Amino acid sequence: MGNDVLVLAERVGKQLQDSTYELLAKARELAQAWGGNADVALFGPADLADQLTAADTVVSIDHPALSDYMPEAYEKALLHVLRERSPRLLLLSNATAGLDQGAALSVLWDAPLAAYAVGLSLDDGVPVATCQVLGGKVLAEVALEGERAICTVIGGSFSSATGQAAGSPEVVHIPPPPELDTARMSVQQVFEPEAGDVDITTADLLVSVGRGIGSKDDLELVQELADALGAPLSSSRPITDSGWLPKTRQVGKSGLKVKPKAYLAFGISGAPEHLEGMRGADLIIACNTDPGAPIFDVAHYGATVDLFDLVPALTGRLRR
Amino acid sequence: MRIVVPLKAVPDLVEEIEFTPEGTGIDREYLKFVLNEWDDQALEEALLVKEASGGEVAAVGLADDPDIDQALYTALAKGADSAVKVSGGGEDTHTRAALLAAYLKRSPADLILTGVQAPDDLDGQLPPMLAARLGLPHVSVVIAVEAADGSARVRQEFSGGRSQQLDVTLPAVVGVQAARQAPRYAPITRIRQVMQAGGVQEVTVQAGSPQPGLTIRRMYAPEKTGHAEMLEGGADAVADQVIELLRSRGLVKG
Amino acid sequence: MLIRVVLGAAITLTGLAFAGWRLLWLARLVRSGAPAPGRRSGAFRRLAAELVEVLGQRKLLKRWRSGLPHALVFWGFIILLFTIVEAFGDTFASKTFAIPAIGHSAPLGFIEDLFTVVVLVGVIVFSVTRLAESPARRGRKSRFYGSHTRAAWITLTMIAAVMITLLGYRAAQVNTGNFPYGPAAFASHGLGHLLHPLGASVNTGLETFFLLANIAAVMGFLVFVAYSKHLHIFLAPLNVAFSRRPRALGALADLPATPGAPGAGQIEQLSWKQLLDTLTCTECGRCQAACPAWNSSKPLSPKLLIMDLRDHLLAPGARLAGSPGQPAAAHGDPPSESPAGVTDLAAQAPDVISPEILWSCTTCGACVEQCPVDIEHVDTIVHLRRRLVDEGRIEPGVQQVLQADAQQGNSFGKSGRMRARWTRELGFAIPDARREPVRYLWFVGDFASFDERLQVLSRQLAYILHEAHADFGLLFEGEHDDGNDVRRVGEEGLFQMLAEHNMEAFRKASFQEIFTTDPHSFNTLRNEYPSYGLDKPVLHYSQLLERLLGDGAIPVEPLGLKVTYHDPCYLARHNRLTDPPRQVLRSLGCELVEMPRHGLNTYCCGAGGGRIWMTDGPQDSERPSENRIREAVALGVNYFVVACPKDFVMYTDAAKTTGNEEHIQVIDLIQLVDQARRPATALRAV
Repeated sequence: MGNDVLVLAERVGKQLQDSTYELLAKARELAQAWGGNADVALFGPADLADQLTAADTVVSIDHPALSDYMPEAYEKALLHVLRERSPRLLLLSNATAGLDQGAALSVLWDAPLAAYAVGLSLDDGVPVATCQVLGGKVLAEVALEGERAICTVIGGSFSSATGQAAGSPEVVHIPPPPELDTARMSVQQVFEPEAGDVDITTADLLVSVGRGIGSKDDLELVQELADALGAPLSSSRPITDSGWLPKTRQVGKSGLKVKPKAYLAFGISGAPEHLEGMRGADLIIACNTDPGAPIFDVAHYGATVDLFDLVPALTGRLRR
Repeated sequence: MRIVVPLKAVPDLVEEIEFTPEGTGIDREYLKFVLNEWDDQALEEALLVKEASGGEVAAVGLADDPDIDQALYTALAKGADSAVKVSGGGEDTHTRAALLAAYLKRSPADLILTGVQAPDDLDGQLPPMLAARLGLPHVSVVIAVEAADGSARVRQEFSGGRSQQLDVTLPAVVGVQAARQAPRYAPITRIRQVMQAGGVQEVTVQAGSPQPGLTIRRMYAPEKTGHAEMLEGGADAVADQVIELLRSRGLVKG
Repeated sequence: MLIRVVLGAAITLTGLAFAGWRLLWLARLVRSGAPAPGRRSGAFRRLAAELVEVLGQRKLLKRWRSGLPHALVFWGFIILLFTIVEAFGDTFASKTFAIPAIGHSAPLGFIEDLFTVVVLVGVIVFSVTRLAESPARRGRKSRFYGSHTRAAWITLTMIAAVMITLLGYRAAQVNTGNFPYGPAAFASHGLGHLLHPLGASVNTGLETFFLLANIAAVMGFLVFVAYSKHLHIFLAPLNVAFSRRPRALGALADLPATPGAPGAGQIEQLSWKQLLDTLTCTECGRCQAACPAWNSSKPLSPKLLIMDLRDHLLAPGARLAGSPGQPAAAHGDPPSESPAGVTDLAAQAPDVISPEILWSCTTCGACVEQCPVDIEHVDTIVHLRRRLVDEGRIEPGVQQVLQADAQQGNSFGKSGRMRARWTRELGFAIPDARREPVRYLWFVGDFASFDERLQVLSRQLAYILHEAHADFGLLFEGEHDDGNDVRRVGEEGLFQMLAEHNMEAFRKASFQEIFTTDPHSFNTLRNEYPSYGLDKPVLHYSQLLERLLGDGAIPVEPLGLKVTYHDPCYLARHNRLTDPPRQVLRSLGCELVEMPRHGLNTYCCGAGGGRIWMTDGPQDSERPSENRIREAVALGVNYFVVACPKDFVMYTDAAKTTGNEEHIQVIDLIQLVDQARRPATALRAV
């Protein structure tokens, strides 16, 4: 039985995502207990290998099909690496790549998969994942017995500190397997978030709206408050899905993670995907007419008044 | 073009979840089950593809899923052309993928649209597993699908507002995150009409029982770490308190 | 005589031809509407309605400042029919024509003269009213906003013309010796006296002139009536005859589904009665003035809705009876397009009815209550909503409520198993009517079960009833949403499903009477569930409390509080129950100060018709509930008594948002009863 842990590096262009370091930190912890290596699979140009100093090995495959994230190419490459390197555990982030790769490899590599992990530890050498399911209402402690396993991890679950430790990993270049030369899909166009728009991840104060806002025209009311506070307007998913705000304003699991000094939430119920994006804020004040809304479980202060009364009241006071 | 939409019945998340006496699973007996909301999005996207490019939409469920008939009839009421109930069931995705793959080998589809995930798919998501078993290309976290003539153009979403467009040869499996518009409303009258007319086909398949290989040691509800301090009064009183909170942190001038 | 006959004939035949053709065409239009069941049954009640509402002008007299003049003018028109007969007789028969039997009686002459003058005075009063209430000055606040004011002035002018030419004729007759009535006909004789100096031949000429002018005025008026809103003078009695009896409130009208889809999307899918409604509308605007939506700056005016439907019905190229040259479409034909290319009634095009208008309605029924010609606005609005629901054109928030309701049986999106959680904190067990027989089944309803503030009231009532030894029980989780508001949103299928479920639960349980704290539940259980098989009496809890207090089962000490009471729409207007809550207040020793809009004229809180599920957006003007709180505060009372869970929530919020929390306390009957039976606990001092 192998005792290495393999992490799939998540890259966006020339950058490695935070999740890679979080997973690498956890990989080192587990690998050390097993007496194995904490390796990172890096696809595409190998230049980013020097950012993975905390890894024991960087397993690199470079091929034109891997220059962007392309599900089929990544799957083939990763399967190849798994077969070559036979790690005990594969760690993936619960982002798009993880949602593409994890379950497929569970079948192809014949390994059990524990999804939505927020915790991962060893019990007598056996990896035990704490997984968050049913909208955050249930936690499951899942043991991954057997020779190999896969775990997809929710972002922000682990500290990335040791994942960025100094070191000099061995870089192993694996020749691209021939199946990478054929593909049944191709990337046509990549859409970056609108340039020139505000970066909500750097704001000290955010004014955020959710479904309680009702209609696009009502956004103006809240925009006035945001202007009066000198803060950007952000939102939960339904607002950007409807196109009322650009995607760059979306806070949450599939949007952006923010940690402002203060986060004002108007008409946001607090679905787990949204909470994932903002629960780290220093001060959270939530306004929702439903006293049972889950947002109140993470907010520091709350009020059940109607946002259409509170927002103008706030704007009025600020303008004096 | 034949579009198949596998549907899963999942516990209604408004319910309070109770656990089995052993504490290793949830007590499903008195729960109400609803259609997985991501599958609802997939169904909507399938109907939109059909409206744009023609084809027929088949909604497929597993017979052992509680209340799956409701979801299948609702799909017919919304405009699906056919509904199929495949024998068997399973709470874990590996078993479900095997059953659905067995069905799809018999009745192949050009395009398989299903929800990118389900709230209870602890052992992994359906679209990639289905694709792996069928040997088909797959793309997940998709927010728009256009399909015609043996190929599909899909929009795959990443975090932070990034996305990309891919062309995929059909047949393929797509995991839908969100349809281009909110799932349409199916008036109860139409659902009842469809129920009266009948029309859900039942199909029996044989499939192995792959084990997901997970040992669930414990299932429990997370502890609530706290609750917001509620601000009292009407809008004016609350506004005063909020301003004060912001002022004391230097976020508001004056 | 010859001149009279020839000219008279020419005028009369022309007038009859134009008016007749138009009326026939309108009749064909109406008849080509969809069927309207149940309109011909109950002949005696309909006859009684004709006498009371048409002849007796009952609804008009509700607002006596305009009602009294109208009643007088109306009675005047009836009386003056005699003068029209006489005028035609004088034109075609002989100059000394007299109606058989009564023809020359002095009282008749006097009455004819009296009412001629009364009508003229009425026209002056109407003119003053129209000037004072001019929409040019008062905008939306005027009930004539949107009405065809020019047509109104033409009407008044023509009525005046008929009266003046009549008087002129009679006056001339006095001088030519042809006038059949004695000096009791004071006006004729008085004017005749003034005309006397003109001489015999002038008067003879005037006699013929005014007679023909009178005929012309009458015929001209007839034609004008056929082409204008003033058609109500013929259609109102017809509309009243076919209206729902006793009234178009309470249960919704039984309107058959269009083959293919529920509700109505095209004008020809409305029933003939609904089409008749639109033609009968006289644009008086009483409905508009009473409408809580209109008064809070929403786009809905019941009057404008009916007028818009009428305009669409009459539009050139309308496909029903067809303008000349167009074939009439048969009911059931596929809908054809109007020239504007708009087939939908509730379409995005601004010339028909926008969905926003339809969704603004709270179904409070103030419009129906006010309408002097018995137009059934609420039924039509709901019927149009049914088509919107069928097409999925509903707000996402409403969609979620309906889907969750279908799934869990409640409109709160909560698990159905939580329905009876509020009973857990009670110190005793409420009997389960599913397992043991009880006398009273308490149908709690969604609001009183799931809203935290209302759960407190539910528990209070439970204690009161328990300690009064009332034999009551619950269905616990077996109860589902009663469906009243679901039905009024237009989701007929979901309503049926909920009603069937509840009826199944009722059949399995054992009880003698049902009571509820929710007037909406009360309304549908009492008026609509019988057609699903419910055959037990349904009470509002105020009736039960009245009974128990009357029996002495709840010993109370007088409270001595000065209160006002808000009649819930679904209790007072829809079900005519205004007395039991007042009786309860009397039994509790409270001094009741009535708000101006009380009883059947109560003003809606704004939550009904599914509005409580809809997002409002920022409010530019006062909400109905805020307006009502201000009405109460102006009375100088400390307590605003409610008897409906939605009212409790709406008015508690309104007291806060209007800054009146310190001036008035919103309190339910339950709390007052509780207070009166346990005087030790002090009410919050205001």
